[in-house]
Amino acid sequence: MRKTGPARIVRPRDLSEAVRLVAEGGRPLAGGTDLFVRLRREVEDPPFLVYLGELPELQGIELREDGAVVGAAVTHAKLLRSEVAERLPILRLALSTIGAPAIREMGTLAGNVANASPAGDGLIPLYLLEARVLLAGPQGERELPVEEFVLGPGKTALKEGEIIRSLFLPFPEGEPRSYFRKVGRRRALLIAVASLGGLVWLQDGVVEQARLALGSVAPTVLRPREVEQELVGKPLDPQVLAPLAEKLSQLVQPITDLRASASYRREVAGKLLLDLAVSLAG
Amino acid sequence: MDEITQAPTRIVGGSASRLDAAAKVTGQARYADDLSFPGMLYVKVIRSDRPHARVTALDLSRVEAHPQVVCVVTPGDIPGENVVPIIYRDMPLLAEGRVRYVGEPLALLAARTPEAAEEAARLARVTYEDLPAVLDPLEAIREGAPQVAVPQAAEAGNIFNHMVIRKGDVGQGFSQADVVVEGEYRVGYQEHAYLEPQGVIAVPEEGGMAIYGTLQCPYYVQNAVAAVLGLPLSKVRVVQTATGGGFGGKEDVPSQLAALAAVVAAKSGRPTKLVYDRAEDIISTSKRHPGVIRYRTGAKRDGTLVAVEVEFYYNAGAYQTLSSAVLWRGLVHAPGPYRIPNVKVDAYSVATNTVPCGAFRGFGSPQVIFAHESQMDELANRLGMDPLELRKKNALREGDETATGQRLTESVGLLAAIERARELSDWENLRREAEEFNRRERFRRRGVGVSTVMYGVGMGAKAPLLDKAGAYVKLEADGSVTVAVGNTEMGQGAITVLGQIAAEALGVRLSDVQLAPVDTSRVPDSGPTVASRTTTVAGAAVLDAASQLRARVEAAAREFFGSQRVEIADGKVWPKDRPRDAKPLSEVARWMWAHNWDLGATGWAQGAPVDWDPKTGQGNAYFVYAYACHIAEVEVDLLTGETHVTRFWAVHDSGKIVNPALARGQVAGGIAQGIGYALMEELRSEDGRIVAPSFTGYHIPTAMDVPGQYVIEFVEAPYSGGPYGAKGLGEVPLMAAHAAVANALSRATGGRLREYPAIPERVLGLVRGER
Repeated sequence: MRKTGPARIVRPRDLSEAVRLVAEGGRPLAGGTDLFVRLRREVEDPPFLVYLGELPELQGIELREDGAVVGAAVTHAKLLRSEVAERLPILRLALSTIGAPAIREMGTLAGNVANASPAGDGLIPLYLLEARVLLAGPQGERELPVEEFVLGPGKTALKEGEIIRSLFLPFPEGEPRSYFRKVGRRRALLIAVASLGGLVWLQDGVVEQARLALGSVAPTVLRPREVEQELVGKPLDPQVLAPLAEKLSQLVQPITDLRASASYRREVAGKLLLDLAVSLAG
Repeated sequence: MDEITQAPTRIVGGSASRLDAAAKVTGQARYADDLSFPGMLYVKVIRSDRPHARVTALDLSRVEAHPQVVCVVTPGDIPGENVVPIIYRDMPLLAEGRVRYVGEPLALLAARTPEAAEEAARLARVTYEDLPAVLDPLEAIREGAPQVAVPQAAEAGNIFNHMVIRKGDVGQGFSQADVVVEGEYRVGYQEHAYLEPQGVIAVPEEGGMAIYGTLQCPYYVQNAVAAVLGLPLSKVRVVQTATGGGFGGKEDVPSQLAALAAVVAAKSGRPTKLVYDRAEDIISTSKRHPGVIRYRTGAKRDGTLVAVEVEFYYNAGAYQTLSSAVLWRGLVHAPGPYRIPNVKVDAYSVATNTVPCGAFRGFGSPQVIFAHESQMDELANRLGMDPLELRKKNALREGDETATGQRLTESVGLLAAIERARELSDWENLRREAEEFNRRERFRRRGVGVSTVMYGVGMGAKAPLLDKAGAYVKLEADGSVTVAVGNTEMGQGAITVLGQIAAEALGVRLSDVQLAPVDTSRVPDSGPTVASRTTTVAGAAVLDAASQLRARVEAAAREFFGSQRVEIADGKVWPKDRPRDAKPLSEVARWMWAHNWDLGATGWAQGAPVDWDPKTGQGNAYFVYAYACHIAEVEVDLLTGETHVTRFWAVHDSGKIVNPALARGQVAGGIAQGIGYALMEELRSEDGRIVAPSFTGYHIPTAMDVPGQYVIEFVEAPYSGGPYGAKGLGEVPLMAAHAAVANALSRATGGRLREYPAIPERVLGLVRGER
């Protein structure tokens, strides 16, 4: 059934008004690429929407020495065109698979975070970079690591009246290699059936350090730290990594839904590690 | 028409731009939902949410009490018959007392706004007494299965129709075979996914009803609306609005929508609009029939086919709609484009408690083509033969007899298509390249696959009464030309192609030609826009009318110039011996108008005779066939089971190609739709309910999923009965494409795909060697 009545949309003048409106029960709206689908399906029925997309405080990308501050209203497309995407190949790899060009022009990375879907492609690079989420609320501002911000499918640490103000994406040290792969039955406009992102630091052909993040195989994006640890000191050889791939499969907690079965997701989660090995070894 | 076939052409065979391009690009084209009429109401259908039940109470009091609701319609309000007449008359317009599928219309309401209509529909209270439901065709034919089919519309129990081909003796045939392959193949729904969902507006006018809508077959709609309103056909007028795709989905379904809207318009006396959103469209309208298809194919050691035995079951849904016709085309196409002396086919369409299936590009043939083309590859594997060679060896040639005993006397371009596809793809080298790739790559495999198909153009011997067409061509007093036919433009390019035929025959420029809007009160009946028949049959009618008119213009021009012989081309007329005296056609047209010449001509065409013996399945099934050979290269990721079609070659024989650019577009679209069918499109149901009726849940290919490299070519084996030698093309590309993809995929995995779609999960099973 489609949404019958148009939702009322309020446009705050500044951040403090936005916070006040959200505290009154308004639902934050930026790109709307997830929210409008939910409203249409009547998954939620907020009293009114607070449009943050053009709020001056939420605009812009600021490059610092140690990382980038990305305003909450910055779209995927804008990020992809920015210098940040050049500095952070993992961000470019992941964001360029989100939806299709029109969706990337509308949707925001902060919105991806607020939506807290385990399939959120934008979350993978944030988990890998160990990004922090800056929140603004009635009690002022606070900052949380993205892993602590996302609590479960659609669940976040946002308190009443809080909105995401910006994201901080630290630049990783050294020169890690970046990997991102999203699995599904087509190549665009796809919600991942399973995904794997990786930052791998290599030294003389063996892994010096590795970070992995899996999507769509657990209630949230997953950092398999045990496997990351075990990768250290190993060459990127699928044969050597086969037992780790197996281990990765065992770590995940996928579900069966319309798009794929849990057993397929489990199998693929592990096998993507082999793909990572082949892709990054070159 | 032989002379015309051979004559060089100026406009036919050229890649003219679409006549409707500017209107569509600039947004001027008006689709059903763009139209509005004073006092218009919005209709909403109150539907069954049970697959099979008795309706014990239908309480619409709260619907009627809604302040924005103007009119409520139940079966008792239908002034004519409570039926959607298609081939049979088993489907009620509004269910009375019993529902047979989820989504079946029960009642209607009309409100002042679409939002109010939505809201009010939810206030309906329906009390059901559930009946046992059967959702699977194989279960529906078991003894003791719940009776779904309306008995008068079924041959036996839930078997709507059982049709056969009996040729030769398959027992003897298989006894001569050195190799026999056997398999069961399964396919699910395919959704049309036309850009524009279904929509109509019914407008009461002068004791009758006008219907505006997105549709393929205006005369079907006229017939249905007249039936439910109890009106003579002359009081029902159907106007086609700009139509955003059909693919068969707008063949019979608009009759249902129009009849629904019309009964509300009749009761309320006001214009009524009924436009579906995507979810309602997917839940309640036709799709490609799911099927279970069993094949046995026998061949000699050298690859010569000796026998084919086929048994297949299509899930028709709760009512007949077009299933008997779909089944018949499936039956005739089941043996494939091959010489086979012994053939036995048993085709069944079965009633279940699901939404009625219907027409979809290929019309019952893609399902059996998946099976017969898989069998050919399985046979090639067993024989250690090149699959393309195997097809070539058995391909129908001119003079051969088809599985239905039809002698092919002309226009058989299959071998030429196979040969050209082999050349273009550099077949042997292509296969070698794939092998090299597979040796080199660790987790990726490539496979190359081929398919060959034939397609019976037009309605065939199942419905020869529909294979006729009228056309009217009028030279305006200023030399411009109006062409009127009852065939519809739905994106396939019909009006451009028909315009080219008219321009060619008359000697005018295409820019001088305008196709009249389709309105059943003003254009001749040229039959349904289905079965890839428009260019061939309506084109012949346009050619007939234009040729008559040209003869008249020439006669007038002889008088005008005082010359024995005149020439007409590119909108100019001149005495043959005095080309310097050439005048614009407008001058001659003006002169004809001023001297009371008849400037209009009516044309007529009908398909060459066909015949059919239903007991043996023998006869001249179609007046001519189109052919194609497709080759696909598919890459498979062994880790994830993901697939990608990397390269594609498509060669078609559809006779003379009237507009190569449009034809290439048809083929490219068919390739994409075929990729979707083979690899990704899946519509799941639970307990008779379609789950996730949206494009988030139902995946069709995107621009990223079609091959980066593809080659499309035509080998033209002209048909003497078609205008300038043209045959049909529309459906063929989809029919061939999916099977080539499936064969390439099977080769890449080393397994054998026996069920569509080959989603990654299923492909991974093939890689593992699971069946």
